Amino acid sequence: MTAQQIALIGNPNTGKTCLFNALTGSYQYVGNWSGVTVEKKVGYLRNQQGTLIDLPGIYSVNPISADEAVVTDFLIQEDCASFVNIVDASQLKRNLHVTIQLLERGKNLIVGLNMIDVAKKRGAVIDSARLQETLGVPVVPIIARTEQGIDQLNQQLKKSKSTTNDVLSLYYGTIIERAIQEMEEELAPLPIKVSKRWIALQFLDGNQHVEKLLDSEENFDVFENIREKAEQKLKKEQRVASLTQHIHDTRESYIEKLVQNSVVVNTSRTNNWTEKIDSIVTNKFLGIPIFLLLMYVMFMLTFDWLGFPLSDLLDAFIAGPITFVLENTLELIGASTFIQSLILDGIVAGVGGVLVFVPQIFVLFFCLSLLEDSGYMARVTIVMDRLMQTIGLNGKSFIPLIIGFGCNVPGVMAARSIEQPKDRLVTMMMTPFMSCSARLPVYALFAGAFFASNQALVVLSLYVLGIVVALILAKFLSSTTFKEQKSLFIMELPPYRLPQWRTLWRATWEKGKGFIRKAGTYIFGGSVLIWFLSYAGPSGLAVEMDESYLAMIGGVIAPIFEPLGFGTWQASAALLTGVLAKEIVVSTMSIIYFVPEMELQSFLSDQFTPLIAYGFMAFILLYIPCLATVAAVRKETHSRKWTFLSIVYGFVSAYVLVFVIYQVGKLLGY
Amino acid sequence: MLLSELSNNDIARVTDFSKVHIVIQKRLRQLGIKQDCEVCLIRKLPFGGPCMLESSGQCISLRLDEARLIEVQKK
Repeated sequence: MTAQQIALIGNPNTGKTCLFNALTGSYQYVGNWSGVTVEKKVGYLRNQQGTLIDLPGIYSVNPISADEAVVTDFLIQEDCASFVNIVDASQLKRNLHVTIQLLERGKNLIVGLNMIDVAKKRGAVIDSARLQETLGVPVVPIIARTEQGIDQLNQQLKKSKSTTNDVLSLYYGTIIERAIQEMEEELAPLPIKVSKRWIALQFLDGNQHVEKLLDSEENFDVFENIREKAEQKLKKEQRVASLTQHIHDTRESYIEKLVQNSVVVNTSRTNNWTEKIDSIVTNKFLGIPIFLLLMYVMFMLTFDWLGFPLSDLLDAFIAGPITFVLENTLELIGASTFIQSLILDGIVAGVGGVLVFVPQIFVLFFCLSLLEDSGYMARVTIVMDRLMQTIGLNGKSFIPLIIGFGCNVPGVMAARSIEQPKDRLVTMMMTPFMSCSARLPVYALFAGAFFASNQALVVLSLYVLGIVVALILAKFLSSTTFKEQKSLFIMELPPYRLPQWRTLWRATWEKGKGFIRKAGTYIFGGSVLIWFLSYAGPSGLAVEMDESYLAMIGGVIAPIFEPLGFGTWQASAALLTGVLAKEIVVSTMSIIYFVPEMELQSFLSDQFTPLIAYGFMAFILLYIPCLATVAAVRKETHSRKWTFLSIVYGFVSAYVLVFVIYQVGKLLGY
Repeated sequence: MLLSELSNNDIARVTDFSKVHIVIQKRLRQLGIKQDCEVCLIRKLPFGGPCMLESSGQCISLRLDEARLIEVQKK
């Protein structure tokens, strides 16, 4: 039996990923705004053989932004897949535009009518049997959030056949029908996997990705000719603005009839509490202050009120009981000094030094998940749009930046839902300057050692510093390289949803898990390597730290950092390893000074002054995006030049800024 | 009159939005905005920031620059 391949497809923010998680039992990122899922994700179906593919949301098969293009390419290339089209019952009309375009491609489709509860609250009752009859494909009412109707959907999936030649043929009028026929004749010899009528229609509709498919054919100009002729004729004879408009109108009137027959509308009233919350959070005077306040609360929870005391407890536990037990066990089994040193000075110091920050990171991720799930994220974009406009961007760029506080990699990816390529590129350049969770251990360590009394304030200033540098860079880019290109903004504001505890916990855990996993892999490996480099030297093993390979390597680049105040081999070695992942800076420091994190702080105060420590933190924030972020930028920009530039921008701004901080600070007598 | 000239909670009928940037025009159409459809201006954000519209139960945000290019007839 060949494995079935099923893809989820539909409008943005209609619950595709929510359903994906329910059907596969796995977890993918969910949130309450348009454009949470930006790439194709694959999972295994729970009940039967086969794979399920989660696709980004689309408003139309004819794409505008990069995440939508992923879907179009999928539709052009994959011929074996059958589809589950998730339709938001409370916005039936515009959701059906995608349904129609899918049915024109093939009837290997099941419609999942989601959010019937929301629709009902708004007074719309949908006769799904009637809809099923008219569309000619199964229609299953579901509520993905509470997993209602999932069993029925599963049963339908088992029955569904993946291949069918049956398609929906809407009649688009003589002019377009003739054009389609001509196109089909030209397309006949080509090895195209999907319905040729569909390809022809999408081409006439101006779908650029279908154009690209046909671009390489020698009769491409024939296609263009057919389209041109049809459009001229249509304009002259029927006074329609464009082909696209006519195609859209034809579908619209079909949907109009469909909806009339199968939907009973009692009263049409939008939900009130969304409007009430919006009147406060997007208020003229309160909008921006509320946003800043929320950011501040999130920050204080992480660094002061909740996360910090928890991390302290964990630190005491690792430095105390755990180390004690390990020490005694190693003693008892008679481990060699090499092994003892490896485990205690290498692994416990390095990995433990990072793990103590897990509570703080979980608090941060919990706050971010709350923002993402509630629907507030979309409001942030409109509140901040005016400010972003002054630096040549749009409010949507703020979503990747906020996600970047958790981790820069998904932040860079999230930029896909931005429509204008230039806005998207600039946003990707800005994201690495956001203080991600990996910088958090570095801040906590240094701020704890040098600025114990106003720790939170100092860390807050670093967060703000990152944002300011990013804004300046964006302004620079949009007033030089991208001077001619205008930024655009349009955003759909979803209704607020009360976040569910289950979803919140799941989202927090999945994000936090990544951090713990990193501690077990990268940081574990990095710690062992760094420990070894510090344990071995040209003269053999167990050398004095200053005679080790690590000291030699660090010593080579140390002079570069002399003007910044931290030209020691220790600092240089930490910076070097920090390129791998920024948490490793803490591991390296723990190993070099080989003391547990608690004592490390007092130890550091002998090596750094507060001014140098601040400069060092600022440098860590800005200098070079971590390896994973560089890889993400490379993948998303498809450009070596921009990847290289994002490294250069980071390093240059870090160097210049810290130079100024240090030199000015010194003059002022700090 | 223009969409941008409406006051809060005014309801109007869209008469022409063909002057808007093509990308925005496409998105508006995808969100269900079309000739003769009814929109309600919910509010405008300060300092010439974006405005919020309601149309058939969904809320859309648009820049004032774009709203200045959309012709409407107030009800």
